[in-house]
Amino acid sequence: MNDKGAVLTAEDGVKDALIGWLKETLKNGVFDAILIPVETPGGDSFAYLLLQDPAILDSASPLPPVMPVQGGKALGRLTMRGRLNRQIAAVVRPCEARAAIELCKLEQANLENVCLITIDCPGVLPLSEYLDDPETSAVRHAGASSAWDRSPMRPTCQICDHFSIRQAPGSDLHIGTLGCEEGTAIMVAGSAKGERVLERTNPPTLEKEEESYSLNGLLEEWAAQVEEMERAQTKTRQRAHADLREAISGTDRLLDLFKDCINCHNCQRVCPVCYCRQCYFESDALKLPPENYLARANRKGALRFSPDTLLFHIGRASHMATSCVSCGACEDACPMDIPIAQVFSLLADRAQETLGYVAGMSLEDPLPLVTFEMDELHDVEQPYVKIYAKQEVQDA
Amino acid sequence: MPEGASSSAFTSEGLKINRGAVDTVRELLRTLLESGKVKAVLALGRTGGDEGGVGYSLFRNPAAFEANGAALPLLPFMPANAGALLSRLTLEGPLPEPVAAVVRPCELRASIELAKLSQGYLDNILFISSTCGGVYPLDAGIDGNLEEMLPRYWQAMKQGTLDDKVRPTCRACNNFVPEGADITVALLGEADLDEECTLYVQTERGADFASCLEGATTEVKQENKVLERSMVQRDAFREELFATVEVGLEGLIRTFGRCIGCHGCKTVCPICHCRLCHFDSQDCERPAGFYEGELARKGGLRVPPDTVYFQLGRMAHMAISCVGCGMCTDVCPTDIPLSTIFSKVGASAQAAFDYHPGKDVDEEIPLRTFEEEEFAQVAT
Repeated sequence: MNDKGAVLTAEDGVKDALIGWLKETLKNGVFDAILIPVETPGGDSFAYLLLQDPAILDSASPLPPVMPVQGGKALGRLTMRGRLNRQIAAVVRPCEARAAIELCKLEQANLENVCLITIDCPGVLPLSEYLDDPETSAVRHAGASSAWDRSPMRPTCQICDHFSIRQAPGSDLHIGTLGCEEGTAIMVAGSAKGERVLERTNPPTLEKEEESYSLNGLLEEWAAQVEEMERAQTKTRQRAHADLREAISGTDRLLDLFKDCINCHNCQRVCPVCYCRQCYFESDALKLPPENYLARANRKGALRFSPDTLLFHIGRASHMATSCVSCGACEDACPMDIPIAQVFSLLADRAQETLGYVAGMSLEDPLPLVTFEMDELHDVEQPYVKIYAKQEVQDA
Repeated sequence: MPEGASSSAFTSEGLKINRGAVDTVRELLRTLLESGKVKAVLALGRTGGDEGGVGYSLFRNPAAFEANGAALPLLPFMPANAGALLSRLTLEGPLPEPVAAVVRPCELRASIELAKLSQGYLDNILFISSTCGGVYPLDAGIDGNLEEMLPRYWQAMKQGTLDDKVRPTCRACNNFVPEGADITVALLGEADLDEECTLYVQTERGADFASCLEGATTEVKQENKVLERSMVQRDAFREELFATVEVGLEGLIRTFGRCIGCHGCKTVCPICHCRLCHFDSQDCERPAGFYEGELARKGGLRVPPDTVYFQLGRMAHMAISCVGCGMCTDVCPTDIPLSTIFSKVGASAQAAFDYHPGKDVDEEIPLRTFEEEEFAQVAT
C-alpha cells in the first residue's frame, strides 16, 4: 500500500463524488474510457459498460447491489488478445480486481492500460433474491451497506476478509469509506500508475491536501477501521470454514453436497479464473462408448447419469483452487443453490495457505504451480535416487 | 426406433392392470431387469441417500425398483432432458443390448430429434412414456422439497388438470401425449391411478416387453375426452403466455438485459449439441482494438458483448428443432423466460416448414434437405 492519497469530498454521497471525479477524468483525458456497472435497460439488473460519453456515467452504479458478471471476467474478455490501445479506468470490487490480476498472471488478460479502481466493499445480495424484487432489494442493500451490516449479503460476502485494499493491494487506486465521516472518502494510490492518475486530476471535487497531517489522520483512521473489520471477518471466515469442513468431510458427504447438481456447469462458466476454452470435463475425453457406461452401471448397480458429477467439481477445484478469489459468482449462477462458493473458498484458502500464496494480490507474486524452488526439486530427486539409482547401476 | 407406431393414446387399445400406475411401472422395470430383457433402465432416482436429491441414473440392479428402492420413475421433475442423456449414452455407437428409458414426451422428442441430427442412436432403446401432467421447476427439487408437492400433483392428475405450481412451459405444452413410445402409461385424467393402470402398447417390441407383466389384464378401448379438454386448456394458456413476450429489438434488449452470459440455457438444451458453440469459439474472441472501434462507434459497449446476439444466434440455430422442454428457463439463474420465447419462435419456424421436431424419425429436418423447386428458385 502506498501512503499517497487524496480526500474525496462527497457531500452528496461517495457515489456521486466518484462519478463526478470520473467525469472530470474523461474530460481531462486522464482516461479515454471507463468500465463501470450500469443499470440495464429493463431496470432489473446491472451490466459492465465500457463508456466514453460522460453523460452515460449518470446511470452508472459503482457498487451495485449484485454482481451479475465478475469484473475480472469482463476485463479478461476485453484484453485476452492483448492490451488496450487507450487508457481506461475499471471500477470494480476488490475480488474483481484480484480476479483481473490473477487472469493477467495466467496470460488471459492484459492490464497495461487499465487503471483498476476499487472501493471498500460491503458485499452484494444473492442474485436470485435481488431479481425477485429489484426495487426493495436495492433499498435493503443500500441500508445494509451504509451500516456495514453483512447479514443480508451473499454467504460468500459474509465471510469475505478481502474487502479493502489493505488486504488486496493490487488495485491502482482505492476509495476508502470505512471510518470516514459522512461527506468524505479517501483515495489511496496502490501503484505508481495510481499515483500518476492522482497527480493529473485536480477537479473541484478532489481536494489535494496541503496540510498533510489532516490527510494522514484520515488515512490512519481508515486503516485502523479496515484492520479491525479484517480481524473480525477473518474470525468469522475461520468459524464458517470449520463448520463447513465438518459438514463436507468424506466421500459420502461430498456426494450428498452435490446430490442436486444437474451438470449445467454454470459454476465453471461464470468463474473468472476458469478460463479454459475447452474444459476437460466437456471434452471428448469423457465421451465414451455405451459399453463403458453399461459396464460401470453393472459394477455399481446404478450409474448416475450424466456420470462424473463429483469428478467434475473435484477436478475443477484442483485446477483453480490456487487462483480462486472467493468472489461467489459460481454460487450466484447455480440453479440448485449448492453452496459451491463457500466450499471452494475453504478449499482455496487451504490450497493457497499450503503454497504460501494469495490469489490476485499482486502481479509480481509468481503463480505457485508455474514456478519451483530448488529444494522442491530435491524433494523429488532424493527418493528417486534412494530407490532406483542403485538398481540402475546393478542393471547396467 | 419403434416400428408401426400408429395408434395414439387419444383413441387406443390398452392393457388394464389392477395395480396403481407407479407400482405398475416399477414392477414392469423390475421384471424386465430381472429377466434380462433389458440390461439397464434410465430413470429418475434418489441421488443423495436419505438427504433427498433427484437425478437420472442408469439402473442395473432390479432392487432399485422395489417399493422403497432408489428409483423414482414418473416423478414430476426434470433435472436434465433425458433426450440429451440418451444422446450422451449412444453418441459413440448404438446400445449393444436393450435399455429401457422412462421419459416424458418432450424428452422422447428430443431423443428422436438428436438421432436425426446424428447425435445418437435409438437402436435398442425401449421408450416408456406417459401422458404428461408437467413437471415442477428445478428449485422445487432442492433439498428434497419435491416430496411435499406430490399429493397435490397426483390429485390434479386424477382430475385431468395440472397443478398450477408446475412449470409455465408445461402448462402451455400442447405436445403432452407421447408419439413413438413403445409403451405409454395413461396418467392424465386417470381417476383410479392409485388402484389401476392402463398401458397403451404402441409397438411390437412394447407388446413383447409388456407381456412379462403379471396381474389381471384386460384389453380396453377408449376415447379420452380428458386429454382433449386438457389440450384446449393448455392451448389457451399457451396463447396467454406467448402474449407476454416482448417483441422487437427493444423488447429483446430489455428481456435479455439481465443475462449474465453463463450460457446455461445452451448447455442444458438437448438440441444445442455442438461440441464447440460459435459463441464460445475464437470467432467471438476479439483483439482489444475491435472493442475500442465498437466503443468509438456506439459511445458505450456492454462487456462481455453479444448478449442479444448470442440468444438470436442460438435461436436461429435450433428453433426449428426446439421441442419446448423448458430446461433453458429452468436453469437460468436470472429467470429469463427463455422457453416461452424459444417455443414461440420455434412454433412459427416449425409451422413455416410444416415440421414437427421429434415426432417421426423419418421426417426430414427442413434445413438438411431441399426440394427441387427450391433449387430452381435459387438458380434463376
